[in-house]
Amino acid sequence: MLKVLDHLEEWLIAFLMAAATSIIFVAVMQRYAAGVPFLYDYVGHLNFSWAQELCIIMFVWMAKFGAAYGVRTGIHVGVDVLINRLEDRMRGKFIVFGLLAGALFTGTVATLGGHFVWENGAHYAFFNALGIAGDELFEGPITADLEWPTWIVYSAIPLGSALMCFRFLQVCVGFIRTGELPHHDHGHVEGLEEDTTDPQRAAQDINWFEMEDGLHPKDLAHHKGEGGDPSLDGRIDTPKEPTPDDWEGGDASAKVTEESRK
Amino acid sequence: MNASIIFGLLLILMLTGMPISISLGLTVLTFLFTMTQVPVESVALKLFTGIEKFEIMAIPFFILAGNFLTHGGVARRMINFASAMVGHWHGGLALAGVLACALFAAVSGSSPATVVAIGSIILPAMVKQGFPRSFGAGVITTSGALGILIPPSLVMVMYAVATNTSVGALFMAGVIPGLVLAFLLGLTTWAIAKKNNYPRLPKASAAERMRTFREAIWGLLLIVIVIGGIYTGVFTPTEAAAMSAVYAFIIAVFVYKDMPLRGVPKILLSSASMSAMLLYIITNAVLFSFVLANENIPQAIADWIVGMDFGAVAFLLVVNVLLLAAGNFMEPSSIVLIMAPILFPVAMKLGIDPVHFGILMVVNMEVGMCHPPVGLNLYVASGITKMGITELTVAVMPWLLTMVGFLIAVSYWPGLSIWLPKTLGVM
Repeated sequence: MLKVLDHLEEWLIAFLMAAATSIIFVAVMQRYAAGVPFLYDYVGHLNFSWAQELCIIMFVWMAKFGAAYGVRTGIHVGVDVLINRLEDRMRGKFIVFGLLAGALFTGTVATLGGHFVWENGAHYAFFNALGIAGDELFEGPITADLEWPTWIVYSAIPLGSALMCFRFLQVCVGFIRTGELPHHDHGHVEGLEEDTTDPQRAAQDINWFEMEDGLHPKDLAHHKGEGGDPSLDGRIDTPKEPTPDDWEGGDASAKVTEESRK
Repeated sequence: MNASIIFGLLLILMLTGMPISISLGLTVLTFLFTMTQVPVESVALKLFTGIEKFEIMAIPFFILAGNFLTHGGVARRMINFASAMVGHWHGGLALAGVLACALFAAVSGSSPATVVAIGSIILPAMVKQGFPRSFGAGVITTSGALGILIPPSLVMVMYAVATNTSVGALFMAGVIPGLVLAFLLGLTTWAIAKKNNYPRLPKASAAERMRTFREAIWGLLLIVIVIGGIYTGVFTPTEAAAMSAVYAFIIAVFVYKDMPLRGVPKILLSSASMSAMLLYIITNAVLFSFVLANENIPQAIADWIVGMDFGAVAFLLVVNVLLLAAGNFMEPSSIVLIMAPILFPVAMKLGIDPVHFGILMVVNMEVGMCHPPVGLNLYVASGITKMGITELTVAVMPWLLTMVGFLIAVSYWPGLSIWLPKTLGVM
């Protein structure tokens, strides 16, 4: 069940990214093609004035659900200078506090947003559909170009925030149980799975917000006893000799962690 | 009073290590629930409308384009072209690395992306040729920072969003400082390499240069599309970003064929999650600056500073110190989004050009990316070279000092940044 949700989330944001890009591309192409007399007959009658609005809506949806995905994968950046110097127990408490604060904020926003959406048309729409609409209900505004009801568009806020709240709680429970945070990259660079042929490409697939970059708290499972270290970033200060393997890509451990994360 | 409560709360929440976006949001909510009459429901709406601007949408597009370029073999061909052009001078591959970083920066909007794209290819090659590892890492870490100065640039889009400055004007303003900085970094590289007698490449023949140029041309054309398109008004910056994403996809998959089609979903997903993270910070930062503006805090700070009779010179010095200090704790997007709305009104009152001020912030962010404790470039380079952060910090020093010198020039010589956009008539 959770796996289905995970995949749905991934597919949704990847699809929104691709769709928004294609829409803007097509709209720009159409604008210039319509200026060419020979092509005008084919594309001149098309109207793409809604493209910008749709693109914005898609990206807002992507932002809300992507933020939830980001909680699950642990890429939201923070300030870790203070808490990474605390000893394990204290750090654990702060991490739990941070996760619960995230849940609190997103939960509040989900409630507020839900209320807002309900008052601005969802109430009317549902009751209308059920045939029990009263006269006093507010039908709600519609968007400028697409003329969609705004409550549908704005429901990204309650839905996305609720999902994000759930993710924060999920990560929090996971952390209390195992001491692990969904923060990957423990010292290596992840490779595209199909990239065993190209020696260079494996090193390129870095999402730099996933690295040990001084922007995320260290969890307890992988960094036991590292807190309280007065030296800066004690964890990465051990220079490692590059083995030939590091340059060759196809790092086997990359796939193991990739698998175990799923 | 309100100001100190807001900033104090934000600072405390951030220090607990929670995501910056969440601490911004919680600060706003706490303040709204307890101290003002602003209807809380407007907050929920603001969360949607806060990023309902077409300019902001350039960010996901540029991230997507950058990811396609990184995986699509564009970087490799740019490096080949750069080595054929400058590889025979002192510094050889390292100098080619600086040039390749500058070229890649002109198609990508992010610094760490530039370090990844160029560094993961050129650093192993440099080690193989006999350069010390620290030399190569130093060059690429700092040259990669050109990514946000040479247009397109994500940080400039963030600044434009936070201050309502024109993205096009900022992009044009970044061109000359970017080229100057690239030259200075190259000069530093050349001088160090000459002193230590590092290996050089054999001089490439004209035919060889032509061949590498022809191979790299698909990537180089993107510079024309983005900068030329925005300048001539063919595209808005956001449209240019979308075009470059599609273009990058086509050359990666169909022209260079370096990326299999089945790798595309993964790139879409990672671009989407990175953009979503940045957009989420933007949303909450917009909320935060909405509350600040509602309480008239930026105006109060501006009046206070102007009342102190600092003058522009001292103010810019303070701004530089403040931003460099902030660079120790946060990543650039958050700094720009939080600081720009506060500092911008002061700068305006002191008669500083908005575009010049933007470039100054961007250069500050560049320096911040190259030194610890928080320096994305440094961590990316560490991931590629497997060098420790302390070791890398020492390694980047010569170039970092060059950058600081350049920062002073940018701060006090507005002409360097605003001459080109003025001449082109985009501002």
